[in-house]
Amino acid sequence: MYATRALRQAAAHAQRTPSIRFLGPRTIPSSIDHTPKPHPASPDGKLPASFVSNSPSRHSSFSSYRDHAQQHGPLQKSIRYSEANGVGGSSGSALGSVAAPAGMYFDTSELPARFRRAPIELEEIEAVESGGAALFG
Amino acid sequence: MLASRLIPRYTVRPVVAKSTLPKVVSAPALSQWSRAYSASSDEKDLVIIGGGVAGYVAAIKAGQEGLKVACIEKRGVLGGTCLNVGCIPSKSLLNNSHLYHQILHDTKNRGIEVGDVKLNLANLMKAKETSVSGLTKGIEFLFKKNGVEYIKGEGSFVNEHEIKVALNEGGETSVKGKNILIATGSEATPFPGLEIDEKRVITSTGALSLEKIPESMLVIGGGIIGLEMASVWSRLGTKVTVVEFLGQIGGPGMDTEVSKTIQKLLKKQGLDFKLNTKVLSGDASGEKVQLTVDSVKGGKEETLDAETVLVAIGRRPYTAGLGLENIGLETDERGRVIIDSEYRTKHPHIRSVGDVTFGPMLAHKAEEEAVAAIEHIKKGHGHVNYAAIPSVMYTHPEVAWVGQSEQDLKNQNIPYRVGTFPFSANSRAKTNLDTDGLVKMLADPETDRLLGVHIVGPNAGEMIAEGTLALEYGASSEDIARTCHAHPTLAEAFKEAAMATHGKAIHF
Repeated sequence: MYATRALRQAAAHAQRTPSIRFLGPRTIPSSIDHTPKPHPASPDGKLPASFVSNSPSRHSSFSSYRDHAQQHGPLQKSIRYSEANGVGGSSGSALGSVAAPAGMYFDTSELPARFRRAPIELEEIEAVESGGAALFG
Repeated sequence: MLASRLIPRYTVRPVVAKSTLPKVVSAPALSQWSRAYSASSDEKDLVIIGGGVAGYVAAIKAGQEGLKVACIEKRGVLGGTCLNVGCIPSKSLLNNSHLYHQILHDTKNRGIEVGDVKLNLANLMKAKETSVSGLTKGIEFLFKKNGVEYIKGEGSFVNEHEIKVALNEGGETSVKGKNILIATGSEATPFPGLEIDEKRVITSTGALSLEKIPESMLVIGGGIIGLEMASVWSRLGTKVTVVEFLGQIGGPGMDTEVSKTIQKLLKKQGLDFKLNTKVLSGDASGEKVQLTVDSVKGGKEETLDAETVLVAIGRRPYTAGLGLENIGLETDERGRVIIDSEYRTKHPHIRSVGDVTFGPMLAHKAEEEAVAAIEHIKKGHGHVNYAAIPSVMYTHPEVAWVGQSEQDLKNQNIPYRVGTFPFSANSRAKTNLDTDGLVKMLADPETDRLLGVHIVGPNAGEMIAEGTLALEYGASSEDIARTCHAHPTLAEAFKEAAMATHGKAIHF
């Protein structure tokens, strides 16, 4: 009788389930909500309105958007204008010459002839069109 | 088809020797005239501003994750406040001053007779500097090992993707980043009306490198930093008085019972305390620095003076010169960078971790956040459990805690069960003749889940790791009580406190 009770107690003891459980290797959840939420240590548990992503008020103008936008690197302005005056606020002469500096070209067609694509000769056209047969004709 | 492949190339395109090609337009010049369609070569995946614990850990982790990373640090050495003027040098002084104090006062009863004991302050400081320089150089090595570009200079935002760096060696450079991490840390909060000269009116930085032992010292603020520095100089012979606004020392996070215990023990070591006392003004014009203090309730105004005044009223986020205004980034009323749960500011590619943002200003919290922030960038998922961040005060005995304190639970009307175990009943503490303190555990009365652990005693800072792990895993006090602990160790006190929480301790 006593032995049975002792055995039962031992069995109950062996079956005690610890509250620490083995969870296995961690995995990154398949879907994560990335919308801004208050930081757990934030004193008031709130986020300012400016945290709402893609808010249209983030940029006051297209020019301001373009200053900050990224497309594999920042989009750069070609003309520097003073913030105070805005576009057109400065005289044309103050902006400097619109010509490309020496050694710079807007388009490959403006390059000296030796740097352009070599003109295709009639023989080459014929060779291409005949699949090379014209070379042996 | 075969014939077409036999066409000699020169018939299609004349060969032009490369050397004859002039430099038509250089890449950077071209970008002024056309959109750049690929990332410029100097654009980093991540630019980190600040090479302190948050910044350097993030940099190393980012390097390990394969990100192209640059870390900007203006101090000239890595490691930030923690390594240079915080945790590390203070631990060196605490450890060595404790040894000195022990040799002076605690050897005879151990059967050790010591002759003339002298203190060499210069060498004490040298030992501290050796520890610091070894560790900071170690981080530079880790930067190289993990491919982190280290830029020595002061960084400030030009726009949301570009940071201008005023280089320490002179000149300026700029660096662009797809992601940016603000980890600029914190600085000691000054006391209004008292100018810090780091000689007579000092912060923790000055307290780590005083050139002579002051006769007397007033410490404004009885938090962890104030008490650690008070301990160092008190052990070296300074008469120290701590003035604290609150009714307890150790800051508001420390359990009241633990706070009272450590206050008693520190008082026994020679420290004086003035609690519930506010400092009205300070005057450093005379031979001694004077403080006018009053009780918080008023009516007990008095003047205290000392050779040195340590201002230890807390730390504030450091964002000076960062150019946050250039990118429209706001801080809260205490100067902290506002972030969301993924450490993002309102510009999602700019994140912030460490002392400069929310949460306790602790190096280990900054490290956790740094790793989590990089994981958010790289994997889209990271995690820090703010409910299981330990705090440690490295006085002797040490004080350490994790989770909720008894007054926290009372304030929130959360029921709890408490179990304590004194080190005076622990065999190892007895053999060490170091029996001051206790372990206190708080657990849920129904589920037995651990809610908090509070330790004051020898090696508490190491022992709290077990409590933090238990809390992180959601252990019950019974789980700890049924885990075998080696004998004789101080850690047995931890087990016995768990036994006392769950049922009854054996040795008390």
